[in-house]
Amino acid sequence: MIDDMPSVPSLQAVRLSRSFGQGETKSTVLHDVSLKLYSGQITLLMGPSGSGKSTLLAILSGLLHPDAGRVVALGQDLWSMSDRERERFRLRHCGFIFQGYNLFNALTARQQLEMVARWGEGASTGEARRRADEILMLLGMAKKAHLRPTELSGGEKQRVAIGRALIKDPNFCFADEPTSALDWKAGEQVVELLRSAAHDRGATVLIVAHDARIIEHVDRVIHMEDGQLIDHDDDYEPMLHKIKQEG
Amino acid sequence: MASYSLATLWFERQRYLPGVLAVAFSALLIALQCGLLLGLFSITSIPIDHTHADVWMGAPKVLSVDLGRPIPESTLARMGVQPEIERCEPYLQGFAFWAKPGGGNELCMVIGSQLSPDSLGKIDKLTPQQCGLLAEEGTVIIDESDVKRLGVKGIGSTAEISGHAVRVVGTTRGLPSLAGPYVLCSIPTARKRLPIQQGQTTTYVLGRCRNATQAEHVVERLHQNYSDVSAFTTGEFSRRTQLHWLLKTKAGIALGYAAALGLLVGAVVTSQTLYAATVASLREYAVLRALGIPRWRMALMVVSQSFWIGIIGIALAVPAGYSLAWAADRMMGVHIVSLPWWLQTSAAVVTLVMALLSGLFALRSLRQIEPATLLR
Repeated sequence: MIDDMPSVPSLQAVRLSRSFGQGETKSTVLHDVSLKLYSGQITLLMGPSGSGKSTLLAILSGLLHPDAGRVVALGQDLWSMSDRERERFRLRHCGFIFQGYNLFNALTARQQLEMVARWGEGASTGEARRRADEILMLLGMAKKAHLRPTELSGGEKQRVAIGRALIKDPNFCFADEPTSALDWKAGEQVVELLRSAAHDRGATVLIVAHDARIIEHVDRVIHMEDGQLIDHDDDYEPMLHKIKQEG
Repeated sequence: MASYSLATLWFERQRYLPGVLAVAFSALLIALQCGLLLGLFSITSIPIDHTHADVWMGAPKVLSVDLGRPIPESTLARMGVQPEIERCEPYLQGFAFWAKPGGGNELCMVIGSQLSPDSLGKIDKLTPQQCGLLAEEGTVIIDESDVKRLGVKGIGSTAEISGHAVRVVGTTRGLPSLAGPYVLCSIPTARKRLPIQQGQTTTYVLGRCRNATQAEHVVERLHQNYSDVSAFTTGEFSRRTQLHWLLKTKAGIALGYAAALGLLVGAVVTSQTLYAATVASLREYAVLRALGIPRWRMALMVVSQSFWIGIIGIALAVPAGYSLAWAADRMMGVHIVSLPWWLQTSAAVVTLVMALLSGLFALRSLRQIEPATLLR
């Protein structure tokens, strides 16, 4: 396990800045933020409302263009790509989980996952179904694969949303307040699933959340305030990696 | 793709119902309007469609069967010498005034034909017994639907056509008229009552071929050899007559306008239904966009939905169309709405194209998809 730890960050943000509005209404949401994330790690980004953490997540995941700075993901500069290339990058490497589950009401849990495999990668019906069932089994949802969102609890819906993000076996998994609409028991299960995506599948998982109870389930916590990272070590590298170097 | 579209349509059927009904309404409106017109104008070609000739020869450039002008009866020989023709005969038809016994006039269409069992111009609704009765000069047969219009009481009633007495000796059923009631009689009775048919003239010369498929050759040869007459096959003359009436009465324009209006209503409602449904699912589509799924996949989903809305709407419209046509025929007592397979198919294709265009128009909703808005 130690030997497997990567020596280079899978995702690196370099001096990111972003503001919204113009003139007097202009407000700067991110100030010169730099950050490194590693595969196999689950990182929690915390901060008060309006601190800029969702904006940072959007920029890191290729959804929102920064005003300045770079994002290097798997060695590629995300924001020097064309829109089409970035879309393909997200398709190949990124999974998303949002606060609202955003599941299609008409489709069953299995269909929500199959849709991503079929539309995203052109997987055959059989292949998509096999993969969807595999992920739903992993998420403890095998018996509810035929149910629609209205027939599922909040926690179950979020698990389906996680399944939708994981069916592509992504390198990156971005989760925005994934537990805020859930009771802690369901929330804890969701965080554990994300943790296993990082530890068992080697994904780089970044969670944005308020909930301090998540802290004990993650590998690393980053605090943010007023568009800046607080007490942040720009040269952070995973502890296990340092052990390896010293050894 | 189809499974997701159909699952969505079924699960959210209340949302999509207006679109489906709009498509059904459009398809029904187009089919019934055209069917009504077709049925209505097929009345104008009854003298052609209900007789047994293969070739019709009349005055030059005759526009429709009811607008025939006198041609010399000697032209019968022209038809007779054609090698493919086994039988030919004269046929008189023209408008005349029918003086009602109680006063007042009505324009009627006098049809005078030979009455033998193998006659070409005899309307097929006439029974052998009626043909025997018509042999007497001055006797006529009218359709039972026109009895009231002609101001008579039925069999045994008398009236006048062009100042000459006529006696009704029978009635037919299922011979509706448009411009003027059909009055069926013998050639001598007709000649006396059609002022422009005095002397050795006829309105048409009818011919029957040994083999009906030879009719086109005969028509072609008659056109080549004689410039003072025109000739048509039965089908050709029937279509020409109906088309003339369609254009002459401007009914085609009225129909086209009503059908276009129906299509427009259908298109707007369908498009708005799809637009609203897509907007309601924007956040779900936005997740797919965040996951890198290309926009065209979602566009295809919307268009696929519009396709199925079209198919379901048409599936509702076809039986409804037949039921309404049947009801209209029953109510009117005659076959008034004609819905041949090609008309239903054309109406279905036009409606389906309309539904697909509505889907394409609804695609503008997908421009609103912005995955970054999902991150609050």
